Amino acid sequence: MRFDPEFALSVVPTILHGLGTTLWITVAASLGAAVLGFALEILRRSNRWLGYVMRFVIDAIRSTPVLVQLYFIYFVLPVYGLTLPAAASGVLGLSIYYSGYLAEVFKGGIDSIDAGQFEAGKALGLRRRDVILSVILPQMLRNVAAPMGNYFVSALKATPYLAVIAVPEMLGIAMEVGADSFRYAEPMVSVGIIFLILALCINFFVRRLEQRLQIAHQR
Amino acid sequence: MTSSPSAPAVRIAGLQKWYGSFQVLHDIDLTVQSNERIVICGPSGSGKSTLIRCVNQLETHDRGTIEVSGQQVGRHTPRMHIIRRDIGMVFQHFNLFPHLTVLQNCTLALRKARGMGQAQAEDVARHYLERVRIPEQQDKYPGQLSGGQQQRVAIARALCMNPKVMLFDEPTSALDPEMIKEVLDVMTDLAKEGMTMICVTHEMNFARTVADRVVFMDAGRIVEQADPETFFTAPAHPRARQFLSQLL
Repeated sequence: MRFDPEFALSVVPTILHGLGTTLWITVAASLGAAVLGFALEILRRSNRWLGYVMRFVIDAIRSTPVLVQLYFIYFVLPVYGLTLPAAASGVLGLSIYYSGYLAEVFKGGIDSIDAGQFEAGKALGLRRRDVILSVILPQMLRNVAAPMGNYFVSALKATPYLAVIAVPEMLGIAMEVGADSFRYAEPMVSVGIIFLILALCINFFVRRLEQRLQIAHQR
Repeated sequence: MTSSPSAPAVRIAGLQKWYGSFQVLHDIDLTVQSNERIVICGPSGSGKSTLIRCVNQLETHDRGTIEVSGQQVGRHTPRMHIIRRDIGMVFQHFNLFPHLTVLQNCTLALRKARGMGQAQAEDVARHYLERVRIPEQQDKYPGQLSGGQQQRVAIARALCMNPKVMLFDEPTSALDPEMIKEVLDVMTDLAKEGMTMICVTHEMNFARTVADRVVFMDAGRIVEQADPETFFTAPAHPRARQFLSQLL
């Protein structure tokens, strides 16, 4: 069978029906991962024993394949009474998976702030709360902005995993089109190009953000 | 508790400090009057930085007392942050806030700690940026300045809070040689205007011209205290003599 560019083009609108789902899952999973990852890192720092537990949790999350974690939430949890709709399972799974990585990003973001920053704030007579809000937090956010942008792209690229748990995102739709028409090559090329364009756009904005923060953040 | 006007700027008595089992400060007694300029010198590891960092409690002491303007400070002092507003500190590595402009670095504490409005804070900041001869850099970020410029901004930032005593922790040790003079000039001006200063430094010429008293520390003890003339020409203690012979 010859590759049919017209067919490839014609299935694009159908595939784009899943764009909304792909995007909201990407955003929700990124936010979920950020909140969870930040919580994991704060808990890890808070006391010694909790630190060991959190270290294990973070490492375990980073060591198991994302597909395994998704299947676990979708197939295993219902056995114990916790049944979530497919998309919610998917968002939860991706959030947990990337929280492990983002915990490390937050750790790096906080550790890379020089201890002298806190001392300078204290020496000026600022309250601890003001030092954290005005001195530490802005620097931490600048430190984590670029890595988090990259994980946002990773979350986008992970949304196709959710096809295996029947979520109507773009790859799932492309597979359906292929199954219906017996032509898989064209939908795969189309969906691949759509993802490429999305990822390039996000990368462009992340790089712009990085450049703007660089000027303000030079040491 | 309000500070009494006749109290010395800083009074340290019987100070002792340990890091674990290692004693880093032994029986330190030091009184600094208002308008006095003290230089603390000595070999590395003698406890000089630790000592001045105890004054504003960036380090805590284990025994003995420290009084700043008559007010006692220690690890359990409540609202230490308020007392710190009257103590200015300049660090070896400047510690400017990289995400804020020069002007914002100076106004931050004025707005948050002294509750000043934006306009008034900026006026104060510009005044001190002129004093350290760097007013044109107000909208630059620290990363865009040289080391000498950064340290002068750090001095201005500390001065904005109108402190009663300024602590300098090796302010020129991290600077390239050609930038040391500009910082020392600013510090000399400050001294001439009567600021109470406690300065840990290796810059002996500065000590000689500016200090009222030189304090020599070795292995966690104050070994000798004297006016600069006496200290540099006829040091009494053998360790002081040895230190100076290596330096000059």
